[in-house]
Amino acid sequence: MSVISLQDVKKIYELGDNSVHALSGVSLDIEAGEFVTITGASGSGKSTMMHILGCLDRPTAGRYLLNGKDVSNLPKEELAAIRNKQIGFVFQGFNLLPRTTAAENVEVPLLYSRPPMTTSERKSRALEALESLGLSDRAEHHPSQLSGGQQQRVAIARALVNKPSLILADEPTGNLDSRTSIEVMRLLQDLRERSGITIILITHEAEIAAYGTRIISVKDGLIVSDTPNTPVTAALNLEGEPAAGAALA
Amino acid sequence: MNGFTHLFAIAFQALKRNRVQTTLAMLGVTVGVCALVTSMALAKGAQEAIREQLLAAGANMIVVTAGNYQIQRAEGVSSPADHGSIESPSVIPFIAQNSHSQLGRADLIVSSAPRFIQAHFEDDPMAIHDHPTASDRLGDSMAGLGAAATLTLEDAETIRSTISGVQFVASGVHENARITVVSDETKQWFTRLHGTESELPVIRRGWTFPYGEFFTPQQVLNKEQVMVLGRVVADRLFGQGINPLGQEVLLWNQPFEVVGVVGSRSWASQPVAGDDQFDAVYVPVSTVHSLLNLSKLNTITVTTKSAGETTNIAQVIVNLLRQRHGISDQMPDDFIVKSQAQELLGDGLSPDLARIVAGNLATMDTLTLEQLSKSLQRANNTMLILLAGVAGVSLLVGGIGVMNLLLLSVTERTREVGLRMALGARGSDIALQFITEAVLLSLLGGLLGTVIAVFATMSLEGIFQWSTEISLASIVIAIIVAALLGVAASVYPARRAAELEPISALQHE
Repeated sequence: MSVISLQDVKKIYELGDNSVHALSGVSLDIEAGEFVTITGASGSGKSTMMHILGCLDRPTAGRYLLNGKDVSNLPKEELAAIRNKQIGFVFQGFNLLPRTTAAENVEVPLLYSRPPMTTSERKSRALEALESLGLSDRAEHHPSQLSGGQQQRVAIARALVNKPSLILADEPTGNLDSRTSIEVMRLLQDLRERSGITIILITHEAEIAAYGTRIISVKDGLIVSDTPNTPVTAALNLEGEPAAGAALA
Repeated sequence: MNGFTHLFAIAFQALKRNRVQTTLAMLGVTVGVCALVTSMALAKGAQEAIREQLLAAGANMIVVTAGNYQIQRAEGVSSPADHGSIESPSVIPFIAQNSHSQLGRADLIVSSAPRFIQAHFEDDPMAIHDHPTASDRLGDSMAGLGAAATLTLEDAETIRSTISGVQFVASGVHENARITVVSDETKQWFTRLHGTESELPVIRRGWTFPYGEFFTPQQVLNKEQVMVLGRVVADRLFGQGINPLGQEVLLWNQPFEVVGVVGSRSWASQPVAGDDQFDAVYVPVSTVHSLLNLSKLNTITVTTKSAGETTNIAQVIVNLLRQRHGISDQMPDDFIVKSQAQELLGDGLSPDLARIVAGNLATMDTLTLEQLSKSLQRANNTMLILLAGVAGVSLLVGGIGVMNLLLLSVTERTREVGLRMALGARGSDIALQFITEAVLLSLLGGLLGTVIAVFATMSLEGIFQWSTEISLASIVIAIIVAALLGVAASVYPARRAAELEPISALQHE
């Protein structure tokens, strides 16, 4: 069973008299454990695709099966629960809450778990997630006290904390320098290899797309190419910051 | 429960981010709640003060006084205070009568001659320390007010035990007396002496005891030579602020131990020289009787359980005493029963209340105290509505402040809302978060307001001598009002936040 199955998904925005076809009929199946990178220029529809895949938006037409369940027409509240349980988001701008410690940031998805979690359970799971990313010693730091790479790792810890089946990363390296970008990609690759999690990454950089096992190009709301890829292995020769791979080992 | 702690934690964090705005919005609530609590305290205090004053001054008090000086005027003028017991004043034969069978004089002495009997005041008890017993002086029922010997302890006891609706009864003997300090005989004060019973402090509400306390039933029973000084007397004899407890004073050359000092708790009747309550000394009535070899009473003071009953009970007392004294229908009372306002004025009623009472004095006999209480209550309610209006407006302004802060907060944290939604928060979670924030803010403001109100009312009491009373209920009401205010102010902002779309919220700059 596919983790994700898009069946002729369309998204049309009505802007006054004009209608904008952000997605013009996309069909796609993604299996568990794939590391799919979606590339495309801005305005290609990749962000809309990402929103639909992330249950942040509903398709105008077509069906979206997530883990075999049709989520195309679920009410907002149920979509929220699916986002909470099954999808881990990693954003370009990290989107960490300021003046909030790393551990508290990681806890946020757990706050909205149903049934509610005890405070101690939330704390221990947040620390566990931070530890798996080599950030135990940064748990009490505020985002402003962390480097960009560390912030993105905190964001990844947050995405993982509810043990989702899917990670959706939207330009996760967009705000990072190339060295840190490689580090983050290495981390994602390791995650997939270790836990078999499915990763969908959206980027406009070909270099970053090359880390995936499958590359999908989007243009004008349609998939123009969908090819398997032998992933580039992110190699690190970094001094200073410990490599994420080392931390995981 | 865990959900709530995290909600409060998030709310607290959010509030901390905008310290200045948060503080200002909170102050709005603080002012509102402070106004609310203060007005409730003032209203309650005013109500208590009115009640206290009415009771302190004798709203539920009936004073039975020996003798009936009004008989002498009764020939021409209808007496206002005879409670209808004299059917036809003009035909009353002026009879020096003795109807005190309980004192062993069952025979009736009819004196035909004098229309006016010489008043027989007991100016100086020292001079009549060896004067005849009360039974020898019977017959001067038409003597000056209070000096006649027509009331007895048995009368008091009968009122106490047979009339329902009676709360307390204290019999009294009143003299003028010179009090001398034993340790320094140059210190003397000529003042009122009240021989009374231990119930008096509960009858005279608004009494406070800076030192010691009133004498006990046991001390009355044992006819002990103990004395409670009025505040003025204590100040004169021992100096202001000096604790005179245990000191010995002389009364009729007898040593008395000072066991208490009585002062006024009421702002309306502060002790002054010459008044009847605090420029006075109190000793057990039994001791006075024993030392002076008397058995008469000048007064019997009765309180009723309900102020509205007072007039009725006064009539019952009249009937009872007439029966006990064997007074036939044609005879005037040999006592005066007063249940009303004449007593009030002498007892240091607050000026405004006194004015109300004096205004009603002419019709006082028909105006029941219940009605008086009601009209005062109405005035009080008007005041209360005014204060509540002020508090309500303050609360409204405070609530608008909270709403404003929240709207600002929603706009400012649109991205955060989007992020939380992306991470699984539902609209209701977001709404609850903002509501919690507002409630937390309002509660903090409310608590602060309550604390300020407590100090404010304390200083109002201290500086202006206003009566205030902060009840637990008013604090609970204030906290609930603050919480409700938070909820009310946050509904609209919270809905706006909850209805945000996660995508557009996330992209919000």
